[in-house]
Amino acid sequence: MSNPVIEAPPTAPAVTWQEGEQLARRASSRRRAKRLVLLAAGWVAMLLVWNVAAYYLPAGVLPSPLEVLIVMWEIVASGAFAANFFASVGKTFVGFLVAIAVGAPIGYLMGRYTYWRAFFHDGVTVAGTIPALTYAVLSLIIFGISDLGPILSVALVSVPYIAINVAEGVRGVDQSLVKMSQAFGRSPQQIRRDVFIPTLVPYIFAAIRMSFAVAWKVEALTEVFGGTNGVGFQIRSEYQLFNIDGVLAWMCLFIVFMLIIERLVLRQFENRVLAWRPEERVGR
Amino acid sequence: MAVLTVKDLYKTFGAGTPRANRVLDNISFDVRGQTFVSIVGPSGCGKSTLLNIISGVETHTSGQISVTSDDGKPARMGYVFQDPRLLPWRSVRKNMLYVQDQADDETNRRVDKYLDMVGLGKHGDFWPGQLSGGMQQRVGIARAFAVEPDLLIMDEPFSHLDAITARALREQLQDIWSQSKKTVVFVTHDVVEAVELSDRIIVLQPGGKIFEDITIDLPRPRRQTDPAVATLQAEVLARLERMKGMAPQVSAAP
Repeated sequence: MSNPVIEAPPTAPAVTWQEGEQLARRASSRRRAKRLVLLAAGWVAMLLVWNVAAYYLPAGVLPSPLEVLIVMWEIVASGAFAANFFASVGKTFVGFLVAIAVGAPIGYLMGRYTYWRAFFHDGVTVAGTIPALTYAVLSLIIFGISDLGPILSVALVSVPYIAINVAEGVRGVDQSLVKMSQAFGRSPQQIRRDVFIPTLVPYIFAAIRMSFAVAWKVEALTEVFGGTNGVGFQIRSEYQLFNIDGVLAWMCLFIVFMLIIERLVLRQFENRVLAWRPEERVGR
Repeated sequence: MAVLTVKDLYKTFGAGTPRANRVLDNISFDVRGQTFVSIVGPSGCGKSTLLNIISGVETHTSGQISVTSDDGKPARMGYVFQDPRLLPWRSVRKNMLYVQDQADDETNRRVDKYLDMVGLGKHGDFWPGQLSGGMQQRVGIARAFAVEPDLLIMDEPFSHLDAITARALREQLQDIWSQSKKTVVFVTHDVVEAVELSDRIIVLQPGGKIFEDITIDLPRPRRQTDPAVATLQAEVLARLERMKGMAPQVSAAP
């Protein structure tokens, strides 16, 4: 009786594993190149549409990308951008700190105790569905024209995200780890520091990422209506002068730098703090 | 001096209600220092409850239970659970340090020593998520030994592992135990495993009485392939056959 032989398929793409890995590497770099080409094509198409629209619309309505780029450069070179950008970012982050200070305890109570969950649940859900514009207007009515308006609107927009995510995180705490810690005689403080908080951190990052995307837009919006400095305030000033290049230039700069913060700074920080997670290691 | 003393222990769940359920019925035994004792029995015989009472997680209805240390200080306990229960956000070494009361040089040396003993000396800086299930369980075992416990409690530590990994870990556990000679209470439903590891087997029967208290007198190291071990395993299994009528399922063999 002969042993069964399982033969390799006749059209094997590679004979040795080195060849196979090389083929896989080449395929993945081809995919990467294709993605980059399409990304660039998307940008080119967008700018082209803008350029054509600027050409056919009546003069003064829509400046061309190049004109806006020149104004952007002037704004950056004059130093006005840095000052206003940091004012806006500062207000966004202070708003975040307020949101964490308020939202995290609410989320903790919601996740830990069912009766507190009943108390907060509908309120938090309603707060999360109110349009951001309402918060901007509300903040201005409360604080008038000052730095506190944008801070409050960011806080109001972010609190529901933080509360809901922290509640999820508290419910996600692994009770078997708590029991292990108790069995080995760890104190409640140690259990909070080494079991509860590390469990919560990824949830808080998720909350920040989700609410940041909304928060910086609300912050700028509030500044448009009632700021004394910041990017939104500059957009309104340019608008009042009917200076459309200025409006677009400020807007573009703000979008670019906020995306850099969102995609690079927050993401990098998160990757570093959460290095222990298996899914974080896969990407390296 | 006995490390663990259990005397006239009763445990009834829901005592005083129509649903009262006695799970431990007049249990008495002593465990002396440097012995490896297994508590064996079918599911539902009360072995987990007994373990929880020894570790203080559960209260008992009546009777006495005490854990003492050699030096008169409060007794230190070590635990190995069914699953590794490592903190995923701490490295292997920091997981072992987490359950230590001190962070001095001596503690660090001890942690490294036990990591070496389970063959993970080079994995101290790994995240638990980077290790296989068997390796994680070895960290759990090293963690428990490294607190130098007066009493080490192991709750079916190999039941979630595949047969090959479990066998390797049983052999490793014997080696570590032979070197450190802790007092161990090892709970398992697997009689074969108990014979291989223990100096003594306490068999519980359904209803929570002690069915038999067997002394295993075999030289160490014992290996599963050793005929003397196999003979004794068969003998103990045969003695437990009598328990068959008492419970719907006697899961003595794995």
